[in-house]
Amino acid sequence: MNASPEPAGSRLRRPPPRRQPMFHRIFRADPATVRAALLFLRERFDGSAGDEVIAKLELALAEVLNNICEHGTRYEALRLDGRAHAPLIHLCVARHVGGIACAVTDDGRPLPPSCLAAHGLPWTAPPPRDAEAILLLPEGGFGWFLIQDLTASLSYFREGRRNFLAFIVPVTEPLLQNAPAAGTT
Amino acid sequence: MQLTLLLQPDGLTIRVDEKRLDAAIATAFKDRVRGLIARGGPHVTLDLGGVEFMDSSGLGAVIAIYKAMPPGRQLTLTGLTPNVERVFQLTRMHTVLTIRKTGDAPEPPGDPDPGQKRPEE
Repeated sequence: MNASPEPAGSRLRRPPPRRQPMFHRIFRADPATVRAALLFLRERFDGSAGDEVIAKLELALAEVLNNICEHGTRYEALRLDGRAHAPLIHLCVARHVGGIACAVTDDGRPLPPSCLAAHGLPWTAPPPRDAEAILLLPEGGFGWFLIQDLTASLSYFREGRRNFLAFIVPVTEPLLQNAPAAGTT
Repeated sequence: MQLTLLLQPDGLTIRVDEKRLDAAIATAFKDRVRGLIARGGPHVTLDLGGVEFMDSSGLGAVIAIYKAMPPGRQLTLTGLTPNVERVFQLTRMHTVLTIRKTGDAPEPPGDPDPGQKRPEE
């Protein structure tokens, strides 16, 4: 391990060390399996970037995966046991220079193109404590706004029966040198 | 799901003893808290100090609880951890909801005057 200080530029150009975290999991869309996947993801990626970056990664993925659970099920396609077909999700996450790259695919219903259009907040700020305005506050519709806010290079295509969604959660710090939690200022 | 109910002279505090306020528990959380609020007291405090992660389902549940507060009663959120606070800030909900920072004195009881609202950063 070479601990001598050097300019960040040369460090970034160097091939990444061998032990950057990555993660791959296949699971049936369900809030409980999503929670388990995110817990495992956090365990694996903690220390590979700043705490705030890992938190944003977790939140962005939670929103993407929740959407698949909520909207992906094809009720017209029953499985052999008579249950509706909850999508089968493939999740792949890898730490790269400049960001944490995520690929999510699923065999659920196609993603409506409107989800990828630029999303603002589903509300505009009312005067605080205006009782009528409070009753109009949305209780949902934040998901794609958050995904677009937290990620970069968001791209989507559909091939055959699968949705493919890919994005990056940007990281500004250089890759860490085999020492999680060290130097993550 | 774990919630702790602490009764006080002028209201009640509901402490959320869950590390994750996510889609797996959001609906049950909303229903349970609304049931507890019905037990009375003008001031209701929702203590989120134990929550390390909240997604938009959890946010939606908190908003639903806020909207369903009976007339004349007030909901205050406390103990926001950084990850929870980020969700309120990204969605601008921190501008509407009443959030008390840890260490702040409680607002004077019985004074829901908008002019008393503590500015949030």
